[in-house]
Amino acid sequence: MSRLNERFKKLYKIGLVITFAVFLLFLFYDIHNLDSDSKRYLSEHYISEGLQETGATNLVASVLYDYRAFDTLGEATMILTAATILAFLVPITKATMFGTTFKSIVNQTVKLIIPYLAVLGAYLLLFGHISPGGGFVGGVVLSIIPILLTITYSVEFSEYIFKPDQKKLVEDIGAIGFVLLGLLGVLTGSNFFASGQAYFRTGNAGEVFSAGLIPYINLMIGLKVGAGLAIIFNSLIKEK
Amino acid sequence: MEIPYVVVIILFCLGMYTIITKKNLIKIVIGVTIVESSLILLLMLVGYIPGGTAPILDKGYELVVDPIPQALALTTIVIGGSVTAVMLAMVIKVHKRYRTLNIDEIRKLRG
Repeated sequence: MSRLNERFKKLYKIGLVITFAVFLLFLFYDIHNLDSDSKRYLSEHYISEGLQETGATNLVASVLYDYRAFDTLGEATMILTAATILAFLVPITKATMFGTTFKSIVNQTVKLIIPYLAVLGAYLLLFGHISPGGGFVGGVVLSIIPILLTITYSVEFSEYIFKPDQKKLVEDIGAIGFVLLGLLGVLTGSNFFASGQAYFRTGNAGEVFSAGLIPYINLMIGLKVGAGLAIIFNSLIKEK
Repeated sequence: MEIPYVVVIILFCLGMYTIITKKNLIKIVIGVTIVESSLILLLMLVGYIPGGTAPILDKGYELVVDPIPQALALTTIVIGGSVTAVMLAMVIKVHKRYRTLNIDEIRKLRG
């Protein structure tokens, strides 16, 4: 009886998922058949005017850090909140990572990789507005360094190199600096997070110090994301 | 209707099925991440136009894909990462308290 009941329950769940799939199929069919002109009205503006207005050749960066920097502020707040909740939920009692049974060849390779990772992260951060890349990607690449140190050596070693308080400080600098850069737009009589519209030096497109505030905002976001992810990883892995 | 949309639906429903039927908490977290990745794929598809290149203006490229869904995909990735981290922290807490990850057993233990 109970086995029949269970089988019926499973069938019911499968049916639920299949119904949902059919619903999505119709929904996507409608999305696909949307009038393409009305769909791209806003993005046409970004594509045609974005370079003149913000000075950034990477349009995703111009959308993220100029037109819709408010969204990015929300994302940064998400990471800050996640790191805070983790520090609250997973109070560090013991730092017992597995006893690093890696062969020495792994350790030596990690030593060699880390400088390249640092250079790659810095490149992605600084050139985020003229090439594929940006604050989030650069921050993630930079956060790989403490994560690699944690995995190959130990939590203790990783936290001896990058102290938790320092990581928290870097994250806070990123968050506060981001908001302060946004306030610069208000000081010049424009709106919050305006950079291109507030006539900050948009410069020649393609140079490093161009595109108004976007490179600096990129840097702040990168610091924030890198430190935040490193904090999250270390607090998750510390629990025994 | 193109094939990529069908892939999105399959991924989404796989994730939903995992969330609904599995008993292990870690497997439920994995299901949530599968759903997230299907959403990112959907965002990419909405902004895609045939023959478009990446939205980085360079000489010689006239047709670029929509930059807004890509920015939104970045938002999705960041929020997904944060949510996954918080969920894993909660799983750690649950395991510490009940010494098991099975939902049914946790329900039984609570009485």
